[in-house]
Amino acid sequence: MAETITFKVNGETKTVSLEGHEKLLEILRDKLSLTGTKCGCDDASCGACTVVVNGEAKKSCVFPQAKLAGAEVTTIEGLAGKAGELHPIQQAMIDGGAVQCGYCIPGIVMELHGLFSKNPDAGHDEITEALSRHFCRCTGYEAIMASALLAQKYLKEGKGGKKS
Amino acid sequence: MDLKYVGKNIKRPDAVKKATGKAIYLDDIQLPGMLYAAILRPDFAHAKILSIDTSEAEKGEGVVKVVTGKGCDFRYGDNIRDLVPMAIDKVRYIGEPVAAVIATSKHLAKQAVKKIKVEYEPLPVYTDALAAMEKGAALIHENSGDYWHLPGLGPKPGTNIANHYFLKKGDVEKGFAEAEITVEGEFVYPFGSCAAIEPHGSIAWFHEDKTIELWSSSICPFIIREELARVYKLPESDVRVHIPELGGCFGYKSDITVEQTIAWIASFVPGHPVKWVASRKEDFLSTLLGHGMRVRMKVGAKKDGKLTALRTTVYHSTGAYSDTGVHVSIAAGHNSAGTYEFPNIHQDSFLVYTNTPPVGAFRGYGHQEGQFAIERLMDILARKLQMTPFELRSKNYLRPGTTSSLGERMYVSSGDVTKCAAIVQKAVYGHEKPKEDDKYWYGRGFAALTKTPKGAPHSSKSCYLKFNGDGSVSINMGGAEVGQGLRNVVRLIAAETLKIPPERIRVYTEIDTQFSPWEWQTIGSMFTLQGGGAVVKACQRAIAMFKKTAAQVLRVEEEMLDYDGEHVFLKNDPAMKIEVHRLTRGYMYENGMTAGEVVHTTSDMRLPRYSGPDPATGQGTMGVSYTFGAQGCEIRIEKATGKVIIDHFASSFDVGRVISPEQIRGQIAGGVMMGIGATLYEEVKFDKDGKGLNPHYSKYRFPNIKDAPKKQTIECVETPEAIGPYGARGIGEHPVIGVAPSILNAIQDAIGVEFFEIPVTPEKILAAVAAKGSGKPGQAGKSGK
Repeated sequence: MAETITFKVNGETKTVSLEGHEKLLEILRDKLSLTGTKCGCDDASCGACTVVVNGEAKKSCVFPQAKLAGAEVTTIEGLAGKAGELHPIQQAMIDGGAVQCGYCIPGIVMELHGLFSKNPDAGHDEITEALSRHFCRCTGYEAIMASALLAQKYLKEGKGGKKS
Repeated sequence: MDLKYVGKNIKRPDAVKKATGKAIYLDDIQLPGMLYAAILRPDFAHAKILSIDTSEAEKGEGVVKVVTGKGCDFRYGDNIRDLVPMAIDKVRYIGEPVAAVIATSKHLAKQAVKKIKVEYEPLPVYTDALAAMEKGAALIHENSGDYWHLPGLGPKPGTNIANHYFLKKGDVEKGFAEAEITVEGEFVYPFGSCAAIEPHGSIAWFHEDKTIELWSSSICPFIIREELARVYKLPESDVRVHIPELGGCFGYKSDITVEQTIAWIASFVPGHPVKWVASRKEDFLSTLLGHGMRVRMKVGAKKDGKLTALRTTVYHSTGAYSDTGVHVSIAAGHNSAGTYEFPNIHQDSFLVYTNTPPVGAFRGYGHQEGQFAIERLMDILARKLQMTPFELRSKNYLRPGTTSSLGERMYVSSGDVTKCAAIVQKAVYGHEKPKEDDKYWYGRGFAALTKTPKGAPHSSKSCYLKFNGDGSVSINMGGAEVGQGLRNVVRLIAAETLKIPPERIRVYTEIDTQFSPWEWQTIGSMFTLQGGGAVVKACQRAIAMFKKTAAQVLRVEEEMLDYDGEHVFLKNDPAMKIEVHRLTRGYMYENGMTAGEVVHTTSDMRLPRYSGPDPATGQGTMGVSYTFGAQGCEIRIEKATGKVIIDHFASSFDVGRVISPEQIRGQIAGGVMMGIGATLYEEVKFDKDGKGLNPHYSKYRFPNIKDAPKKQTIECVETPEAIGPYGARGIGEHPVIGVAPSILNAIQDAIGVEFFEIPVTPEKILAAVAAKGSGKPGQAGKSGK
């Protein structure tokens, strides 16, 4: 039966009607046309669908409707500035050569956004732990790790999307 | 060669869209009136279909149509035409489409598909080629002799053999008679999944005007167009195929597979686009798998290490349909000689129908599997001869003047395996190996490797190049960007040739057969070589057009002119010049009169002399361009768990010319990781009934960042390829080839156990060490004499 749910996405309040079976991933992609969040698997393994909910990186493919009412969700579409300037983490992914097919990138960017928002000084092990929740088939993870460290540096230096 | 843009790190043109989530992949596409398909898969891997009852499904909420294979009167495929879009009277593997529901939402389609009832009569199931080849085995294709196939290919009627390829060089009996020592083994490269993070999918739309439009996460738009046009009896120009951004490929989105199924489904609801995207389970079991290969190999040599003979037999469990696997087993055969000159070779490749998902390309066509065997045996032979692995290999490398298994002669421009080997040897063996300690065994391993493009005689890549009024350039090609960065390769090569900054060159963002120039398919690590070659040709033609118009305007001979990217000028009087942007649409005089032509050009490049195999020998010009390389690693094995830790992985390839250093490192690092996954973790498993045991990421053991090598050495050699743009060769598939043999050679070095099968899991290592401790021979796997 259709019912509605209200929550904030990228700073805007949205009310959507639901059939009941949808997880956050389907709500974002199918109801709100926020297709930057990707689906890569069927058992919460790949991390491509990661978004930030109330400050925490979460896999949207298993995030239930029940916890969504009133929540604040940030997706990859909510990171770049109003004038189109890239977020430092996005810029770091590009500068560090992490982008190949790009399908895993939104999830990884959001994971790092969740991590560095809470802990700007996250150490190598903590970053590795966060990234281990994400599958990438293209890069072998070398450039992704380098880009994560670069992102941390950009964020600390306050480089709002400007190249170093 | 003094190059301005080629070889520089310039950011790829698609990076911003991908980093902001704005790149459009297949599942991001919404079309007006779109419907959604869900597909029923069988309960048995091999069974007759007795009846299908769709009545309950038809009553489901939102259901528009339920579709079966009934009435389908065609088979498809571009090598051996044995595929059907949907099962007709029997099912041959567990992921096969049996029926489909078209509904107004994905969810409703999935709900209704569960209500379809099918009665089956189970048949014997074969999940391995050897079992399917046994005398008296039930036939998976009863009428395989009737299938259309390319000349020189094709099934053996009355058996499950879908193709037999053989290669002969010299006299293998004589070669083994001359041998003073032989080594042999049976090597298994199990089923794997390319497992790109974006699952495969398609949208098909049969328009009321009888044209067909299709979107797919595929790298073969033109093959799809040609095959759809053929089976639906339309001119190719009435089929339009779009390729959006691709979230990885690695081989399994090549050829034509799910597209025919989705088109078949959509043909029942003309006027409506129908979308289907594979679940991860379907991506594992209902698209293409990789490998599935058993290789028996015997090598003969003289006591001084000179190789005399090679015998290879490949048993390829190609799955229920053979169209996509046939070239994999052929290439596994002729590549099994690796980087070595054998004077005498006999090689057989049996492509065998099995009740498993069809096998296709997986980062190479059989290159990993065949060279896994030869590179393990070279190490085993070296130990028997009490030589270092480098000494034995070095006596036999394909050098200028030698001939490959295919009978192709090697030239200096074919590349230099010895330089690559020396780089890896220094990186991995240039220092002492750590001594065994309480926690770890330590080992080092090496492998040399080679790869050739994999094409067809007609395979071509084309380029449309258009100069705009302001002197900027638009380039349109049919090469599929799967992440490898080919658009940047196009841009850098065009910038170099046209002598203009890359920022002035915009490369296509999608492929659309209505506008894109023809390309066979973007496979086989051929794009840099062929696509890049086409770009150079198109640029040179544009420059010639500028000169032709300028010659009219300046009233001089074309030969007297030169071009520097900004101007066309008189060689002996550079002050006499015309700006390039004034020539792009022909030159306009002050009075409005014009001269010359609009500057847009087309070009294409084929592999020169490329041929199919000679039916008498299996040899031929099937390589054309060779890329050599070497890989090596330093590993640790944790004694408590049997876990293999890659401390250092080194790769060197003779790529001819580095076009983009950052992208080449990304390709190699990613390929190495993929190879590590195959070597230590990954296997798509089936039970004896052909049911998939682990078709999910959580069960497939996909490698994550913690599995990555602690350090990678990546160094390229640049011996220019005679036919390559600026001397460049391909590199996409090569980095996976030497990974498994070098790691298994390192495992032998660490614990003295010979493995012949992958993946080598911690359990297998612990079991092998325990067996060795109890006095059993230090070998694991099928054999090794």
